[in-house]
Amino acid sequence: MPKTLLLGLDGATFTVLDPLIERGKMPFLEKLIAEGVRSPLRSIVPALTPPAWTTVMTGKRPGKHGVFDFFQKEEPDSRYFQFASSHNVKSETIWSVASEHGLKVVSLNFPLMFPPPAVNGYIVPGGWMPWRQLRLGCYPPGLFDRLKTLPSFNPRELALDMTLEAKALEGCAAEEYADWIRLHSRREARWSEILRSIMADDDVDLVGVVFDGADKLQHLCWRFLDPAMRPAEPNAWEQEIIDLCEEYFARLDAILADIVEQSGADATVVVASDHGFGASHDVFYINAWLEEQGFLVWKDEAWESQEVDPQIGFANITRHINELNWDRTVAYAATPSSLGINIVEQPNAVGGRDRATVLADLVSALRQVRNPWTGQPIVAQIHSRDEAFTGPFERYGPDLTLTLADGAAISILRSDVLFRRRDIPLGNHKWDGVFIARGPGIRAGESVDEVSLVDIAPLLLYSLDLPIPTDVDGVVPPQVVRPEQIEQRPPKWFTPEGATAMPTDSDIEIDSDDEATILSRLRALGYVE
Amino acid sequence: MTRKADPEVLAAILDLINDMADDWEYSGPVTEETLFLTDMGLESLDLVILGTMIQQRYGQLPFAEFLAEIGQRPVEERDVTVGELVNYVSDHRQTVAARE
Repeated sequence: MPKTLLLGLDGATFTVLDPLIERGKMPFLEKLIAEGVRSPLRSIVPALTPPAWTTVMTGKRPGKHGVFDFFQKEEPDSRYFQFASSHNVKSETIWSVASEHGLKVVSLNFPLMFPPPAVNGYIVPGGWMPWRQLRLGCYPPGLFDRLKTLPSFNPRELALDMTLEAKALEGCAAEEYADWIRLHSRREARWSEILRSIMADDDVDLVGVVFDGADKLQHLCWRFLDPAMRPAEPNAWEQEIIDLCEEYFARLDAILADIVEQSGADATVVVASDHGFGASHDVFYINAWLEEQGFLVWKDEAWESQEVDPQIGFANITRHINELNWDRTVAYAATPSSLGINIVEQPNAVGGRDRATVLADLVSALRQVRNPWTGQPIVAQIHSRDEAFTGPFERYGPDLTLTLADGAAISILRSDVLFRRRDIPLGNHKWDGVFIARGPGIRAGESVDEVSLVDIAPLLLYSLDLPIPTDVDGVVPPQVVRPEQIEQRPPKWFTPEGATAMPTDSDIEIDSDDEATILSRLRALGYVE
Repeated sequence: MTRKADPEVLAAILDLINDMADDWEYSGPVTEETLFLTDMGLESLDLVILGTMIQQRYGQLPFAEFLAEIGQRPVEERDVTVGELVNYVSDHRQTVAARE
């Protein structure tokens, strides 16, 4: 049976890819586009790796699949957050549907895949899976020992190693850029080696792999990757970084070519990112602003501005738990990644306002906030929970989710200023990612209208002639599939039994919260300074 | 006086740590007094994942509250010994059992 490949490029954007393609640095992608279709890929609210890749896997938005952030509220009204895990994915996935129909799957480096679901095939989780415990994340049992026999197997570089991440990006001195970029070139090669080994040994049907180096390079090196921002006359160091970035993408292109070649000429190939990317100059200190507006009260009112201790420790694990006055706070941001504001409903809160009143007051106040450097509103869009997260799990999402103008980032740290302009611009997430597809039934040589992230799962299932759950938010995108193909073989649908977590080998839940890791990781990724 | 750890829970957690230590080449001894971060060099995320496996055996535990409590300690004391984790699991495992 022809295979279907999902080649995930975390954070990829045509802003970076197109110039590289035009200059011959990514010949395989150029060929793939010429033989198939391309389009912008519209991400979801929030345009963030865990919920967005979960949308790719399920065809649903967070209110239906249950994942909103790197961390999840323990309960809808809880101030405690858990580490988001596969148990939070309360939906059928492309892996589960394919497995249930007897097809064999490979899922490599996708977030939210720990503990690994029991699939018909292979899982090596990604996201924040620490390298020391990668063995626990591999499925089926015994896979880790099999992978250890591969020539370049190196879990320290394959999975998350906070030491390496922190070394490279916390403060990231100029001399550390090069090692950081080379690390990601090696990391992609290691994931490719695993995938190609599995494909060589077993006849798999649905193959998915996420390469996340683009996201990590773009956070740090945006000013070297976006041609509009590159220095006109780079110095020697800048030129070295530019060259290394381009080398990363060239090697990635070759990796993709090898995987597709191994999959056979009749394979359906889908290249997708979880979100796009753009420049980020400014930081908005959301909790400081909430304090100024009377929504948030710190426990220690005698606080003085100070440098944040760079040592990541347990003090940061549950920062908001320990630092807020919970009798008087009515709204707070728990993580910078979600761009979310949570409302605390309590009778003794400031002014005794109920949720609806706080919500209305917040929206009104947020619309007034101006970026001091541009004079423009810093909040481009405000998404209410009811609007953005409709579904059985919407109460686990933040009450408000913001889209900030001009790629500004949020910091949840206490601050005596509301805004800060970065010394150098970084990269940050934006809506429009990349979509490229080629294969039987896919249109050829066309640049088509925007595809939505929720359409990826229906398309993948359709390509394998599998039924699509009726509760997905997406469709088999008609601008991608040839009309005659749809006419000859209309999509099949099935009604799932209900919202249940993916089955694993155990019934356990992860319910630990580690904000030290959140902050360390987000800092490493450039979400916070 | 140091509390004596539940031998069954201690043995299970030591087994788990020793199994994984083979993958990351930790060769030091692991005892009740061993600190996860300082002595074994783990990251806090490792603790989260370790907590997952512990809960697989002992049921859901309120780890977020546990870590929040640790976060309130002075910086130099923000670490967890194997014995402390064993005691925590033992205490809350009993609570879970009592509720059931």
